[in-house]
Amino acid sequence: MSSTVIYPARRVITMSTHQPFATHVAVRDGRVLGVGSLAELQGWGAYTLDRRFEDLVLLPGFVEGHSHAFEGGVWRFPYVGFFDRRSPDGTVSPGLKSIDAVVARLRAIEREMTTKDGPLLAWGFDPIYFGGRRMDRGDLDKVSVERPVLVIHSNFHVLNVNTPVLAKAGIDHTTNVHGIVKDAAGQPTGELQEIAAKYMAYRASGIDLAAALSDEQAVWRFARVAQLAGVTTATDLHNELPDSTVAGYLQASARDDFPIRLLPAFGAIALPVEDGVAKLRALVRQNNERLRFGLVKIITDGSIQGLSARMRWPGYYNGLPNGVWNTGPDDIDRLLQAYHDAGFQVHIHTNGDEASEVALDAAERVLARTPRRDHRHTLQHCQMADAAQFRRMAALGMCVNLFANHLFYWGDIHYAQTLGPERACRMDACATALRTGVPFAIHCDAPVTPIGPLFTAWCAVNRLTASGRTLGEAEKIGVPDALHAITLGAAYTLKLDHEVGSIEVGKRADFTVLHDDPLTVAPEALKDVRVWGTVLGGRVFEAPAG
Amino acid sequence: MARLPFTVIGGFLGAGKTTLLNRLLRGSAGRRFAVLVNDFGAVDIDSRLVTAHGGDTISLANGCICCSIGDSLVLALVRVLEKADRIDHVVVEASGVADPARIAELALIEPMLERDGVLVLADATSVQARAADRHVGDTVQRQLDGADLLILNKADLVDAAQLAQTTAWLQARQAGARVVPAVHAEVAIEALFGLASNGAPAAPTAAASAATPPVRRWSLSTRGLIDRAALLAALAALPASVLRAKGILRLADAPLQRSVLHMVGRRIDMRSDTPWGIAALRSDLVLLGTPDMPADAELDRLFATVPVTPVA
Ligand SMILES: [Zn+2]
Repeated sequence: MSSTVIYPARRVITMSTHQPFATHVAVRDGRVLGVGSLAELQGWGAYTLDRRFEDLVLLPGFVEGHSHAFEGGVWRFPYVGFFDRRSPDGTVSPGLKSIDAVVARLRAIEREMTTKDGPLLAWGFDPIYFGGRRMDRGDLDKVSVERPVLVIHSNFHVLNVNTPVLAKAGIDHTTNVHGIVKDAAGQPTGELQEIAAKYMAYRASGIDLAAALSDEQAVWRFARVAQLAGVTTATDLHNELPDSTVAGYLQASARDDFPIRLLPAFGAIALPVEDGVAKLRALVRQNNERLRFGLVKIITDGSIQGLSARMRWPGYYNGLPNGVWNTGPDDIDRLLQAYHDAGFQVHIHTNGDEASEVALDAAERVLARTPRRDHRHTLQHCQMADAAQFRRMAALGMCVNLFANHLFYWGDIHYAQTLGPERACRMDACATALRTGVPFAIHCDAPVTPIGPLFTAWCAVNRLTASGRTLGEAEKIGVPDALHAITLGAAYTLKLDHEVGSIEVGKRADFTVLHDDPLTVAPEALKDVRVWGTVLGGRVFEAPAG
Repeated sequence: MARLPFTVIGGFLGAGKTTLLNRLLRGSAGRRFAVLVNDFGAVDIDSRLVTAHGGDTISLANGCICCSIGDSLVLALVRVLEKADRIDHVVVEASGVADPARIAELALIEPMLERDGVLVLADATSVQARAADRHVGDTVQRQLDGADLLILNKADLVDAAQLAQTTAWLQARQAGARVVPAVHAEVAIEALFGLASNGAPAAPTAAASAATPPVRRWSLSTRGLIDRAALLAALAALPASVLRAKGILRLADAPLQRSVLHMVGRRIDMRSDTPWGIAALRSDLVLLGTPDMPADAELDRLFATVPVTPVA
């Protein structure tokens, strides 16, 4: 007979309505045997009492409904962002508070490099916190005038390079290409945007970069970063899923010490639909406890801060033209219909409110043609939706996953430049989702922002920007609702709420272990609640002290 | 190494991009094209011509390769350039919502590529409605604006008056627009991609002549010095049926340099940067076009207006 372990805890917050709090949880065969008092659980028979969580608080394992394993890919390279960020080995990569500090860090790394001319790639840079000063090639030439130096911005759509990169590509004052930023004298500054940035990143660092960003080591690094933040289930919410990536995911997840359940979403545009459906069906057959294929992703528009989100009238606050479609309305219909008919759940990236409208229109048509109960198609990001759009989501049986971290990281930019005060104050409208009854989650979109559900919950509760402005009192939600959104709420948007998301008899023994009680700390301190570690399927993963 | 010409084919969903690409892959006239496509499934390749099929690339007996773009055009292009020694020309099918002119700019930051044409197909039956659509109108207009050459496809599905009206509408929204009508994207492939621009007309393969209408060719050769402004004016006055021009020229204002002229549709590039070296001091200009291209005598008359200073 299998062994039973009973864990006493300072408090078990279960997220289950019939028994929201308890003192003990019993685990057998990787699942929750019961939750309650010790006396109630003793009835299950012989057990071992494990007191390691006695002074700690247990929650259902956090579920990150929108992240990318690419986070693990980029940790192969140095992080040079403004904010502190925890790396896969548990150490904190300190935030760099000036361009000079970034240059100094890169110089130190450059001196340690073993090759003479190999590229130096860094990521996470964000120029919006440096009072208007932009990085230029002069800065990066101080790092090296020999090897290519490339600094990828935190949005992953902009890149700074040094002179060797420009010279090799033949970019000079005569190069008139959209996205190549020039100074007052007409010389390229070394800042490249959008397609030019992406092209140069791959061109300068070689085609191996793509594989390195999505290999087995990358998914391990991603899993570790997630685990350190208390996450037990995380999505890789857009992947072409080439054979090499799938092989790495299968190998990593086959090991008992792989610390998360990983849900990759297949990028629907990658293959003709018949091939895509067949591929996904074959992948689903390889699912195991820690790896779940079956999600589908459609990307409709770009991003708000990149001015590429599709906006309804009256458009961008700063008057710039509307954004771009990544997948046009006809193709959204076609792809959604095909994967809906094949029985899959589809996650649709919509940042701007026009993109949300087109996605809702598509879902309405698809559901009229082929009604399907409990499809749970989910709008992802959905940052600008108004109350009427939320009412349509509710009517269509859709879910939403809101990008709460945006409030902090780009809220000031949205207020002043992209959306203007009114729409900035209603963006990522968690309270409206709650009022209209749309099942919702909140997310980080790692590596765009760091993975950390408690921070994401803090954003939804406090709605504070980096400069300290409150964006929309009316859209704040309470701590219990925010905790629901990072556990059972997120699990629901992934059709995993029967398995994870709450601590109840029969569910997976996936817990987040905290030093502090998130329901008793001040709401403003939610992000500072310390993570002790996690439990995944009954296996304990202690995080190193941060 | 010579730069690879880089052509981008754009146009909204259903305009006929794939039809044109299928023609290109069948009738490549000896040039080894690398064609990057969005939907592998839509490409219609005779299986007897396939020599290798490996994941995201199909190799054909005529030397062409067809590559799936998947979800990253940039990555697909970087991969194709790894095989640069085995190809002569890169053609990208822009997605139905992409801006093909932006994609063409990649040739300006990639030393291995040389920007060739941006060819945009428009569906004669629907382009005006699409351009007025609430959600995609601006996208369609951006595509049309970026075209060097507009191919007004499905011309057989509208009557003559509608065709004339749509052509006029396209020309009115963009000064100098070159609009070529087509049925089933049938446009002289050899002229469109410059297959016959060097010296004598290329010997068309059987497949090419069967699949595409014949190409018209006109050329001019002179030892005199050509007036730049007048030449550019004459080129700008050409009708849309002249699809492209290529020239090695000796201009009156830069007689010591070879000036290279490259015209696709309305876009004219003129570079005067290399010395003549041992090449003959002579100007050669070739025009390629559809069967509707003006008669030789008419072109002779047009270019006779360009002043040529005799050299002693
Ligand atoms: Zn994402």
